[in-house]
Amino acid sequence: MSHLRMGEAHRRITEYLNRFYDGVSSQDGASLRELLSLSSNSNYLLSVADALDTFQDANRLIDNFSDFLGPLFRSLHSLRLNNLLDSYTNFEKAANAFIQEFRNWEWTWALDPLFVIVYQLRVLAERADRELASNGKSPEKLKAAGSFLMKVFGVLAGKGPKRVGALYVTCQLFKIYFKLGTVHLCRSVIRSIETAKIFDFEEFPEGDKVTYMYYTGRLEVFNENFPAADHKLSNALMHCNPCSEANIRMILKYLIPVKLSIGILPNDWLLKKYNLVEYRNVVQALRKGDLRLLRHALQEHEHQLLRSGVYLVLEKLELQVYQRLFKKIYIIQKQRDPTKAHQMKLEVIVKALTWLEMDMDVDEVECIVSILIYKNLVKGYFAHKSKVVVLSKQDPFPKLNGKPVNS
Amino acid sequence: MMNQGVNTQTISSLDPNSLENRYAVDASKGQTSPYLPSTTGSEAASWTMSTVDYRPSDNGHLSNATYHHEQHVDSSTINVQEGVNATSLASSSNHGTTNVNQEYNGYASYPTPTDPYGYGSTGYPGYYNGYQQQPNYSFTQPVGAYQSTSESYQSTSGSYQNTSGSYQHTSASYPNTSGAYQNTGAPYQPLSSFQNAGSYAGPASYSSTYYNPADYQTTGGYPSNGYSNQTTSWNDANYANYASHQYPNYTSDTTSAYSSSNTATTSLHYQQHYKQWAEYYSQTEVSCAPGTENLSVSSTSNPACPAPAVSGGYPTSTSQPQPTFTSSWGADSSSSQMPSLQTGAAVCGAHDSYWKHGSSSFQDHHGSPMQPQFQKPVDSKSFYDTFQDQQKTASSQGSNSQYHASNQVTPSYQEPSQTFPSADTRRVSKLQIPTNPRIASNLTLGLPKTDKDSSTTSVAAKPAYISVSVPKPNDAASSILKSGMFPKSLRGYVERALARCKDDTQVAACQGVMKEIITNATADGSLHTRDWDTEPLFPLPNADVVKDLQSPALVTSLPKYKRSPSRRSKSRWEPLPEEKSVDKVASGINDTVRFGGWLHVDENDTKSIIGNHESKEDGLGNIKFPLFEKKSASKIVQRPVKRHRLVNGLNAADSSDASDSDKEQSLTAYYSSSMALADTPDERKRREHRSKRFERIQGHRSQINHFKPQSAGSGNLYTRRASALVLSKNFEDGGSRAVEDIDWDALTVKGTCQEIEKRYLRLTSAPDPSTVRPEEVLEQALQMVQNSQKNYLYKCDQLKSIRQDLTVQRIRNQLTVKVYETHARLALEVGDLPEYNQCQSQLKILYAEGIEGCHMEFSAYNLLCVILHSNNYRELLSSMSRLSDEAKKDKAVKHALAVRAAVTSENYVLFFRLYKAAPNLNTCLMDLYVEKMRYKAVNCMSRSYRPTVPVSYIAQVLGFTIVAPTSKGSDEKEKDSDGLEECIEWLKAHGACLVTDNNGEMQLDAKVSSSSLYMPEPEDAVAHGDPSLDVNVFLTRTSS
Repeated sequence: MSHLRMGEAHRRITEYLNRFYDGVSSQDGASLRELLSLSSNSNYLLSVADALDTFQDANRLIDNFSDFLGPLFRSLHSLRLNNLLDSYTNFEKAANAFIQEFRNWEWTWALDPLFVIVYQLRVLAERADRELASNGKSPEKLKAAGSFLMKVFGVLAGKGPKRVGALYVTCQLFKIYFKLGTVHLCRSVIRSIETAKIFDFEEFPEGDKVTYMYYTGRLEVFNENFPAADHKLSNALMHCNPCSEANIRMILKYLIPVKLSIGILPNDWLLKKYNLVEYRNVVQALRKGDLRLLRHALQEHEHQLLRSGVYLVLEKLELQVYQRLFKKIYIIQKQRDPTKAHQMKLEVIVKALTWLEMDMDVDEVECIVSILIYKNLVKGYFAHKSKVVVLSKQDPFPKLNGKPVNS
Repeated sequence: MMNQGVNTQTISSLDPNSLENRYAVDASKGQTSPYLPSTTGSEAASWTMSTVDYRPSDNGHLSNATYHHEQHVDSSTINVQEGVNATSLASSSNHGTTNVNQEYNGYASYPTPTDPYGYGSTGYPGYYNGYQQQPNYSFTQPVGAYQSTSESYQSTSGSYQNTSGSYQHTSASYPNTSGAYQNTGAPYQPLSSFQNAGSYAGPASYSSTYYNPADYQTTGGYPSNGYSNQTTSWNDANYANYASHQYPNYTSDTTSAYSSSNTATTSLHYQQHYKQWAEYYSQTEVSCAPGTENLSVSSTSNPACPAPAVSGGYPTSTSQPQPTFTSSWGADSSSSQMPSLQTGAAVCGAHDSYWKHGSSSFQDHHGSPMQPQFQKPVDSKSFYDTFQDQQKTASSQGSNSQYHASNQVTPSYQEPSQTFPSADTRRVSKLQIPTNPRIASNLTLGLPKTDKDSSTTSVAAKPAYISVSVPKPNDAASSILKSGMFPKSLRGYVERALARCKDDTQVAACQGVMKEIITNATADGSLHTRDWDTEPLFPLPNADVVKDLQSPALVTSLPKYKRSPSRRSKSRWEPLPEEKSVDKVASGINDTVRFGGWLHVDENDTKSIIGNHESKEDGLGNIKFPLFEKKSASKIVQRPVKRHRLVNGLNAADSSDASDSDKEQSLTAYYSSSMALADTPDERKRREHRSKRFERIQGHRSQINHFKPQSAGSGNLYTRRASALVLSKNFEDGGSRAVEDIDWDALTVKGTCQEIEKRYLRLTSAPDPSTVRPEEVLEQALQMVQNSQKNYLYKCDQLKSIRQDLTVQRIRNQLTVKVYETHARLALEVGDLPEYNQCQSQLKILYAEGIEGCHMEFSAYNLLCVILHSNNYRELLSSMSRLSDEAKKDKAVKHALAVRAAVTSENYVLFFRLYKAAPNLNTCLMDLYVEKMRYKAVNCMSRSYRPTVPVSYIAQVLGFTIVAPTSKGSDEKEKDSDGLEECIEWLKAHGACLVTDNNGEMQLDAKVSSSSLYMPEPEDAVAHGDPSLDVNVFLTRTSS
């Protein structure tokens, strides 16, 4: 940190203040953005932070919005000093002061700076939490940021032009809740977004809508409501800016398992393009009916898949793999003797599974067959006495065709 | 002032937490005090106001500080420094001036923020509200403001006391301090006056008087007003004390002297300040102007009041009050009359004017200003009590008055009411006593009293009472004395009781009931010993029925006089189980009468004003209460007293032990200030509700606690813990408090109980070390439970009590883990999932802390629990992702994961195989899922099998029979057939269609069954869904 002379520091701070006041008086939300993006590490803000370090008495220079700017300066300063906890606490104070002001502003120009503040609040909270965690303290700032954002949401969610900003805050809230694992808190926010009759969802900004769809789609994945998840994630994918590949990848990460579980397989190039390698073997296993491959794939990426929350979804693909395997057996039998193809002996299946190094005895396989029939992945019945699966002569292995497996 | 500064410092040294707060407070006080002399009170008052407010803000109880906060802080810090300086300086006047200047600066900053509510900004939300609301509820709001201020005041006083205790002031210094107190008091009054002005359009004269600072000062009526307030609120007893104390004090500072001296010293300063204030007010609001004036006035008055109340009265209250009592009684009789108002004219012309103006309302106000001071001591002493008191702002006035009365009346009495802090106060008082020459006379009496048991005090009080009783003034005095005897907790109780009342009739009825309670309690002698805080409220009486009872109390202010005599006679006539109790009773009666009168007046004046009503009602209720309570509480009564005595004795014995006491006081101050902040009506309501919830149990507990004689150390500990609890409560309420600031280690209980067996009883109060078992005993207890042949309910009860003792002593080690593991296993064995979940969640935390235990076993249980019972995929995912690689290799965890897979894929064959091979108690958890799994399986089979499935196969696959056909024997076969029978029964119960084939083997007709299967209603189902709660089960279990 270079040591500035007092005069220079003073000049920088007053310049910052002037830019802020100008931005407010001209209602130029965009120009305020830069001034408030503390964590952006822009050179300008860094220089101001250095100035604050030199010129300790910056509060003296503030003659307006001191409730906001005072804490903001302190936050900027402590951020520069890498004191993230202080930075967050002060920023929350500043944000609080801003909200108070914001309530009184009728027009929506201030949404821009508000968004910046909301975003910064979340980012700073995450960083503060990391600092807390590394010090062995319980990270709680993100939680605090969550409850603060609920407040902001309350300011925006009512009628009026400011409602346009509600979805942005909602999405930030989603991010926080997903990160904290308190997903159930999303429900109240979703309710107030989706039940409002006054405001058409379509009028929200496109980007916010995509984010919203993405998160609500993920929620549906958690609930194993695959058709709804498919709808929401597909919607997000369709409207997502095609240039932002990272976002597309994030959507696909959930959309692909959902599609798989309703029987739709992705092209290989898609997985390659978006570097979703963890799904490649899963898709292969589904194509080949290779149960071993599926299990290996799941085991290999277990941690990753558990964290993203699709592990259980992929695990349920096992039944489809069985179906594929049975179908293969059926096809082979048909080639040998078309007349007896619809009678599949249990021991044949056991043998096939043994080849795949699946250690299953007759009872287990019988159980699997029973489940497959029960779930309508196989049409037919099982004769216990003769240990034979009798397949329907018409479409013995119905395709899912976009419908989830019966459960 | 010097004293104050010193005090603050000492306090700070003791309690780091409280230090800062205290500091600020003290400093402010110190400043204020200097101000008073210099400014003649008005400015001082204003200053004090600001300072007072600051304190709370500084404390951070409430983040309300808002604008002023920072500035305040600055000023406060400045003040602190000044205060320190002042301490160094011997001359009060000098200090005062210096302080004034400094404060002035602070003040200047104050206006700059341009808060519309300069006052409100001071940091008291309550005050704030009150201010705004004044138009609507002039009365109630003022009350709230009062309380808040009073609370802050109290905190200051507490600090003050400490300081005084540590520093024996010379006479000169003492007056100064008193002046400071007065100032603090003054702010309160101004507030009240403010409100009054707003609310009371009629009393123009009132406002005028208020407004005229000069008048106040000159007449000294203001101080007298303060006095009158006190007297009224205090009921004669207090008044008498006051008179004695104050008057002596006064003489130096008192009304006329007061004003004159103040003016003389710093009349110039004063004016300046005044102007500033005026400006400030004008800036803020025009309406404020009267308030400002009031403030000034009040400040003046405060000097008078504070001197008695603060210096001698409060901290020393125990010692001083007594002296005052005795000495003052004779001389003060006139003053004592004052309380009665009409008779009491003696105190001052100003008083009279006051009375006339406000009549009821005035009195209340007066009372309130006084109360703040009084309350502070009280609050500091008993946090809990204060808590309750504070909760009810409205009541605070009435209660405060009583409170004060009690404090002042007799040290012994105070002790019970004050409970913990009282000891400290006593000490302080003792220390102070030597310092104050004026008080000295009182002191002689007071000291012995304080030191001695309540009996001595009671004796002392009695004489006073008697003397008083002869003339009307006497009655008043006696009543005062008696009123003084009421414990604050009682007041709280009354408030609570009255708070429930919806209308006047109900209030009246309640009052009647309470009166009875109180009389009974007094008769029993349990008035002071009883734990009113935990006393269950009586059911709301039928207004009509109770009316008779009420009528006496309620009738009117006039009735006071008439009735009071009769009551006095009553009290006299009553057999005295203990002198104290008698006196108390009498006082109670008197109080009731007066209060009733007050209430009436108030009600008449402002029925709409809820706050006032409440306060009045409270006062009435309080009075009645004591009587009432005595009846029932007789048993309990003595214990608290004992404890108090002990504490007192300790304090007295080792004044050097100031650290503890100071700590306590600081805590109390802290607490009280926080209380003030949190004193919104909603908050109050909630708190009240909360406090009511466990009243009964608490009472029980507290009784037990009281019963056991405690060593001095334990007593201190207890009080500290209690205060900490209160603090924590505050934190919860305030939310913004930093709990880390509490030194929990110092508050942790060390158990002394040697009994191995102990029944579980949910704690509703601070734990008593004598009922808590230390670790060694707990280990034995665990052994005992493990080896016990008794049933689960017994074991569960024992384990819960072990857990409680561990928690209370904050023991977190392998023993803790063992206890929880034992309990969790037991709970699993009997399928007590709720209890298991409790243990499991604790175990999670304990394991996370790195304490050794059967971590794997329990993470397996946890997984199973999530899979089988919560059916929450997200939770399952997160608990799976949390498993370490090491854990995944563990047998139990592996098994649990396999079960998970079987369940999610609905692989019943796998499930029941795993069921048979389950390690540890995994089976127990799986048991709970077996029924579901079987049903799913049969459902699945009936759909997929054609034409039939042999029942033997089903029985084997679904775990009815043992799957080990290799090792056969006759037993095995029998078992198999048993299993088969069971399976058939089960299938039939679930609607399966069974047929017998040619070979005589039972078969499931799959096609028919597929449409006829159903899940039968569990036979042992109970309405609330938890079979373990079934009455019959419970009875059989307990009887076994």
